[in-house]
Amino acid sequence: MPIDKVTLEILKNHTRAAAESMAYTLYRTAHSTFVKETEDFTTGLTTPEGETFATPTELGATWFVGLNYGRAIAMIDDYRPGDIAMTNDPYSGFVSTHSPDMHIWKPVFHEGEIVAFSVGHIHNTDVGGAVPASLSRTLSEIHQEGVRIPPVKILEEGELNRQVLDIFLANVRAPDQNWGDLKAQIAACNTGERKVHEMIARFGADTFREGVADLLDYAEAQARAIVRTLPNGSYPFADYMDEDSVDGRPCRMKLTVIIRDEELVFDFTGSDPQLESSLNMPTGGDERHVLLLVGMTYVLYSLDPSLYLNSGIARVCRCILPSGTMVNPEFPAAVGMRTLSCYRLHGLTFGAFAQAAPDRMAGAPGSGGPIMNVNTIDNRTGRRIMAAISPMSGGGGGRAMEDGPDGSGANQGFMKNTPTEVNEAEAGIKVLRFGLARDSAGPGLHRGGLGTELVFQAFSPNTRVTARNRDRTIFTGWGIQGGRPGGASKFILNPGTNREVDLKNTDILTIGPGDVIHVTCGGAGGWGDPFRRDPEAVLLDWRRGWVSAEQAREAYGVVIAHGAVDGPATEALRAARAGGEAVGFYDVGPERAAFESVWTDANYDALTECLAALPVHWRFYAKHRIFDAVDMLDPAARRGDGSEVRAAFDALRAEFPQLRAARG
Amino acid sequence: MPQRIEKKADYSATGGRFRIGVDIGGTFTDFCAFDEATGALRTLKILSTPETPGAEVMQGIAELDRRHGQPASGIRFFTHGTTVGVNTVIQRRGAALALFTTREFEDVLEVARLKTPDPYDIFSRRPPPLAPRERVYGIAERVLKDGSVETPVDPADVRDAVAKAKAAGADTIVVALLHAYANPANERAVRDAILAAEPGMAVTLSSDVWPVIREYERTVTATVAGYVQRRVAAYIGSLQAALRDAGVPAEPMITKSNGGIMAAELGKARPIAMLLSGTASGAIGAADAAARIGAQDVLSFDVGGTSADVAVVQGGEPAFGTGELVGEFPIYVPTVSVTSIGAGGGSIARVDDFGVLKVGPESAGSRPGPACYGAGGERPTVTDAFVAMGLLGAGALGYGAVRLDRAAAERAVGGVAERLSLGLPEAAESIVSVAVSGMYLEVSKLMSRRGADPRAFSLLAFGGAGPMLGALFARELGMARVIVPPAPGVLSAYGGLIADIRNDFIRTAFVDLDAGGLAVLEGLAGDLEAEALAWLREEQGFRGEARLIWSADMRYLGQSYEIETPVGRADIAAGRVAALAEAFHGEHARVYDHADAQAPVQAVNLRLTVSGAVPKPALAEAAAVPGPAAPSGRAAVFLDGAERMAALYDRADLLPGRHFAGPAIVSQDDCTTVVPPGFAAEVDLRGNLILTREG
Repeated sequence: MPIDKVTLEILKNHTRAAAESMAYTLYRTAHSTFVKETEDFTTGLTTPEGETFATPTELGATWFVGLNYGRAIAMIDDYRPGDIAMTNDPYSGFVSTHSPDMHIWKPVFHEGEIVAFSVGHIHNTDVGGAVPASLSRTLSEIHQEGVRIPPVKILEEGELNRQVLDIFLANVRAPDQNWGDLKAQIAACNTGERKVHEMIARFGADTFREGVADLLDYAEAQARAIVRTLPNGSYPFADYMDEDSVDGRPCRMKLTVIIRDEELVFDFTGSDPQLESSLNMPTGGDERHVLLLVGMTYVLYSLDPSLYLNSGIARVCRCILPSGTMVNPEFPAAVGMRTLSCYRLHGLTFGAFAQAAPDRMAGAPGSGGPIMNVNTIDNRTGRRIMAAISPMSGGGGGRAMEDGPDGSGANQGFMKNTPTEVNEAEAGIKVLRFGLARDSAGPGLHRGGLGTELVFQAFSPNTRVTARNRDRTIFTGWGIQGGRPGGASKFILNPGTNREVDLKNTDILTIGPGDVIHVTCGGAGGWGDPFRRDPEAVLLDWRRGWVSAEQAREAYGVVIAHGAVDGPATEALRAARAGGEAVGFYDVGPERAAFESVWTDANYDALTECLAALPVHWRFYAKHRIFDAVDMLDPAARRGDGSEVRAAFDALRAEFPQLRAARG
Repeated sequence: MPQRIEKKADYSATGGRFRIGVDIGGTFTDFCAFDEATGALRTLKILSTPETPGAEVMQGIAELDRRHGQPASGIRFFTHGTTVGVNTVIQRRGAALALFTTREFEDVLEVARLKTPDPYDIFSRRPPPLAPRERVYGIAERVLKDGSVETPVDPADVRDAVAKAKAAGADTIVVALLHAYANPANERAVRDAILAAEPGMAVTLSSDVWPVIREYERTVTATVAGYVQRRVAAYIGSLQAALRDAGVPAEPMITKSNGGIMAAELGKARPIAMLLSGTASGAIGAADAAARIGAQDVLSFDVGGTSADVAVVQGGEPAFGTGELVGEFPIYVPTVSVTSIGAGGGSIARVDDFGVLKVGPESAGSRPGPACYGAGGERPTVTDAFVAMGLLGAGALGYGAVRLDRAAAERAVGGVAERLSLGLPEAAESIVSVAVSGMYLEVSKLMSRRGADPRAFSLLAFGGAGPMLGALFARELGMARVIVPPAPGVLSAYGGLIADIRNDFIRTAFVDLDAGGLAVLEGLAGDLEAEALAWLREEQGFRGEARLIWSADMRYLGQSYEIETPVGRADIAAGRVAALAEAFHGEHARVYDHADAQAPVQAVNLRLTVSGAVPKPALAEAAAVPGPAAPSGRAAVFLDGAERMAALYDRADLLPGRHFAGPAIVSQDDCTTVVPPGFAAEVDLRGNLILTREG
């Protein structure tokens, strides 16, 4: 029997208080600076079946609202009071989504029965493996990404399982930090357990159990009501990462959002085969896996921020996940850098929903800016310095009622930068510029948000710069409804000198004294025809240093002279181009348009089909061979109907007889 | 540098015997008057006059004379707090700012610290800065992290910027340059060049406002300071004139966000220090009231019409924070940390599309206010719910300023009752319970952030609606004791009355904690001490004992956040590295539950707080007359799911030593105290009402 709607709201506040208290406990007692800086952790309470019904919103990562612990919980068959289990293995239980994320869960008992699990994760700075921090695009097998702990009890009836802990700590680079953070996680779970007991004392066990089920139903009902405001239909969209591996080929992610009344289907058919890099997303084929639904949760919550955030939301959606693809990779594909794929998927999801609700959604979020670290030597003390410098974030897309927010927003609103004064005091660098990148916003009636821009100089030899999650140097963030794409992200060594190097998507390099690095995040996409933008708004952006006179003229048709809009010249320019360029719903920019003139939908669909027929371990190789073959074609011979792809595939099968015997 | 003032506050007797604290709020202005001859503490609440600020003060002073025979000429000490600065920011009625930054860093306010207000909302955005980007001008200059000037200021470059700023309509220029905390020379050179070009221009330097590392934090604080400066100065000037005209001999003092006070004259130049003084004084007043009865760990619970302001007092000291919000903007000067929860007497209840009852954050505010105020409000508020439960309405609110219309309250609550299929009193109690659970959520977060257990705390309930909600809220949090002071509606005014003169000083050091680092700290300590004493002695004219409180913001190497750690001046002077390190390890363990005695430590900032004690009122204590209190009547109320007969008490009749049990209602001019079933109440020797939860 459902509980009354007054008690439900009161219980909701108590469960939220529990989750938030857990988060504060973890944050307060965590050892590693990484956790405190990035807030890359979660806490929460789940049902005995593993559905998260309470999640903190003030602290912690924004990605794990609908996380389901069910499969991991089920991998341990006997729970007793005082037990705590943990796992970081992306292939056991599919709760951890890359090896640095250590998840733990503690059963909460009432009168001998499990009434809830108190859960949470921390991104550990390092869990061993081939590279420090355990993450690199170059890795291809999960075994290179650090020690894997399959679900195991780290505490048994309150007693620490020393052997397991020792094995874990023996395999990591900074064991004190991992152990310190694990203790903070345990403290948070204990807080959650205590709060559940308090709630049972306050509300009674039956009301608590029923109420928790009702809270999940409540979020589900809210989510359904939001979906109902969207028109039924099938909304396909694709987006690309520049590279599927270091110096690789473009990587396509495709999503068709199908809206039927109050339910959603996310069909990922057409997304790339699983990759020989660590960009894969380990979902275990779970049709409601949290990693796939982050974008959906963002969209539904943003359309109606009264939405209560718990895993009830996930029930409105079901994913179609072809096996052996980057969204459902098979063991032992590497998954460490799934962060970048996840970012792309968020934008892709926003874009697909934009077709359904063009006046409520925005252009592409800014993307492609890295998380940056500098490793150098302080010339004064001789001490080696490792410092995280600012994450380079981008803004949100323009939308029907306003410009996108600059610098950060959309799916990057949780990031915090490092102040310039702290960078200079700590990182052994001098910052020459930090701000918003001029002309980076996607032009539009309402423009996209500008990306951030950083220019800095090194002073010591062997200064190593790492830039994780670099992307969008080729394929830019799309605009919608006539809005233009955002600017590409940039990564340039010694700009404006004869030693200038375009680093593109490089993610690690060594520089020396005097070297200058210029890095920007890609800009967000615009909304609506920029030629309809109020010339005074363009002038204001020009006065703010955010739009150049050239961009004002070229992209907006606004002529600025002597610090003011030249009205007649602007009118003439705008009239001359009126109706000149027809743009579809999305404006994906010239680079992607050029790519897609070769790799048409039909060609890519043919590729997907061909590769799906191959054994998983052949797919990535075959993709690259087919790309090579299509490249070699005489442009005149290209038909874009899939035939050239099939021809290349047939040639490949002819070359490798073993492929004919193998089954996909 | 703050300008020198001519008149100094006079702390010696002027022949008067009255000390007055005033707190000017959006709706009411509160007075707390202490008679040194008799030890009597008198209170007064009148409607604020936002259109003519200062008029309400004059009105109140006249009223105190009329009621209590306290002539203006007998006022020897006058402190007051005002929301004029905060309102300037909230209503965006401040200066037309221009901002001068280091060139290539002009977007500092736009970028802020990147994080958006609600990261789950992809459309969330930061508020537009007080200095619009088109009036931000980069100056070609550069100071390096060690304070050395790499590129000096070119006055011609500044002149250009001033001309542009003037042409763009700026009337105030804020200067915030990189590393100005380490060396303010370039900021001062820019100021000189501005004043040479435009002698009348108002200029605010970030290094004057609060010279702390982190450019966004320093810049946003300076822009808020520059934004409010003119209005606050004008306001203080008119108040000073009005007091003079009224014949008040005392030089006025104003309350500060750090819980202290300073000469009002100084507020004209340093308005940033007083912006959040209202809530700070409330916390100071609460801490004092609680300490007087031996309660050291206290949650202050100040509930008004639109918000509940909660401060944590531990060991008798209110917690401090930086980054407290003025409107939408954080300021980084030391401020008594007060968490504002969007739930108060005016919070509106509604039933959502799924039949779930919600309360707030929407509020009926003071206009139209709750339905029961009869000022046009129709939607049900928390106050209406209390009226419908029969808990409010026996007396009047706000010194007769408002009459309660029970029928209007019931009409409003009736709509919710219908949606919930509940009876009227049940629906009303549901509204209260949901409101209380929302406060529970927010305060749980606050306490977990500090690692504190609310059950070990007492609740000090004040403000118009605090005593009404206090016991219900304490019960939800598992707290055993609620203290309701004699005049709960005017505790902020009381806080100003008992606050010390106080100011904060900071220098960024950014050194390793070793012998060399301590030598740097020692140099800075000398500067700080000279500056602090000059402020107290010369600018404040304080001749009593100076109290110096030293602390350092320290961290482990590699951390990006610091912990303010109390340190000994003698340890710095003697170069005792180990003593400072130990202090930090201890503080780290206290705050984070762990410490690493082997890890290298850095000292980022050195801080000094200087204070001069103001004599505290020796409040009169009455002799206890133990025994049960006599109710003035009985009323049917609805509480804990049932109709009950509650005893009614008039607060004025509740003499020390009297006791009674819930359910009961205590009425007074200020407010109404609700004593639910399960609570015992007793009046202590100072007239505090102490509610204790049984069992």
